Amino acid sequence: MTCIERASPALNQILLKLYSAEKPMEIDHHLYEFGSAEYHILSEASDPRVAFLSISTAPLCPGVLATNELSSYTIEMIKALCPAVVEIAESRREGYQLTLKLNLTKIPRGKDYIKVIKEISTVHSVILSSQLKEILWNFNSDNAIKGMHKPIKLVYNPREPFFVIRQPQQIIAVFPIRFAEKSDVIISTAFFQELVDVGSSDRYAKAPPCSWSAIPPPELRGEAFEDLSTNGGFVSFDISSHHVDGKRLDKTVWNLLNFNAYVRYHVKITKGFIQRRMRKRLENLVEVLHHRESLEQDNEQITRHQDAGCSCTKRLVRSSKYSILKQRWGNLGRKLKRIHFRLKIQGFGRFRQRWLRLPKFSSREYTKLD
Amino acid sequence: MASTLRPYLACIRNTLDAAMCLQNFPCQEVERHNKPEVELKSSPELLLNPVLICRNEAEKCLIETSINSLRISLKVKQADELENILTKKFLRFLSMRAEAFQVLRRKPVQGYDISFLITNYHCEEMQKHKLIDFIVQFMEDIDKEISELKMSVNTRGRLVATEFLKQFI
Repeated sequence: MTCIERASPALNQILLKLYSAEKPMEIDHHLYEFGSAEYHILSEASDPRVAFLSISTAPLCPGVLATNELSSYTIEMIKALCPAVVEIAESRREGYQLTLKLNLTKIPRGKDYIKVIKEISTVHSVILSSQLKEILWNFNSDNAIKGMHKPIKLVYNPREPFFVIRQPQQIIAVFPIRFAEKSDVIISTAFFQELVDVGSSDRYAKAPPCSWSAIPPPELRGEAFEDLSTNGGFVSFDISSHHVDGKRLDKTVWNLLNFNAYVRYHVKITKGFIQRRMRKRLENLVEVLHHRESLEQDNEQITRHQDAGCSCTKRLVRSSKYSILKQRWGNLGRKLKRIHFRLKIQGFGRFRQRWLRLPKFSSREYTKLD
Repeated sequence: MASTLRPYLACIRNTLDAAMCLQNFPCQEVERHNKPEVELKSSPELLLNPVLICRNEAEKCLIETSINSLRISLKVKQADELENILTKKFLRFLSMRAEAFQVLRRKPVQGYDISFLITNYHCEEMQKHKLIDFIVQFMEDIDKEISELKMSVNTRGRLVATEFLKQFI
């Protein structure tokens, strides 16, 4: 679920390592992450108080944004991330959109440093969220006035584009779903049916209404054929004004950006669950067959004993008290071992070992009586 | 147990009971070879008439008998697409591990989902009625497992959907 977290786990780990290092560390890391994000972290041993973090992301909406530069709004949002620690470097690193200067000495001591570093690690999500917000505010405003609502194609992951349609009362987000395997399509379709079902219940009336259809919704009419050809159908969310007011905006934007990843993660985990369950079931089925075999062997042994009944009795009569007791305890022990406990009680094994242990009778060891 | 499943399984049990009278029979074609005649089908005089038992169109069982071997092929019900992939996945999983069962065939007969091959040696090693019990229990378990898997997948989907929508509230 790492790709769905707002904070980049790898970046977070490196910054934590850098901050909590006892000796000055030399770090020069390149990272590539989900959503075409690229990070470069540079820290020199000569100046351990400062670290440089450069970031580059693919444009969210390639057709709309002419340049690959970050807008002033996005830069303001990054500055507001953690103003005491984060500073925009004047000269950015070549090949990157932005370089941040991190003043590590200004990160608070104590437990708060984890929170601050985690917040700095969310820089990619801040860039994406602000870009999406900006697109929604600025783009299509002329067309909306005329009553035309053209879909905006957003590419967070190059293979999974989605569409946002701005309408006067709401914003519609449409996700074309594509999977390579048929089983994935079926598991995801079952999930979408549940999503629609749960979304339409009274308890989740405040959540954006969602719908699933096998054919493209009418809002996408006129889009390129390759964008509309799917095998998993189309999922739509109707985002109204109360879903994007105040703090909810960030959450809504992040959830929409990661919806595809969320579905894929669910499909992957469900397949793992099915596999685990099948493995367990196989063991049970094999056990049934082998249990029958062992029962048959036991029966055979019993019949053999019965056939040779007289000799057995003779042996019992001849044997000493020690050996008789030992044999009886042994039989009881074997019977106890054969009991198959369906319910597993934690610690019962230890309890049984300690309290239900059978005494050992040995003819060799004895204590001398005075 | 569903009302139609009981007579279906009873019918299979009785048919297997009647058909499973196998004996050692060397191959007539190759000297010093002993092959399951139901697979070879080289000598028609060694084969009995196959019996097809149907619960409905989607659920059936084919029992083919010969002098030294018996082949049971099962078609498991698949009500929808989810059941279809779950059944395929599960039965493929079992077929890939056929050595654990001894009597399971690696590849099902065409038109069926899973096949068993029982030879006279299996009948000698494991008792006849125990083998029949195993086949019948296997059929019951498969049905139960597929239904439970389907329910679990849907329940998981519902929980995940709930968690996703919770984030908006």
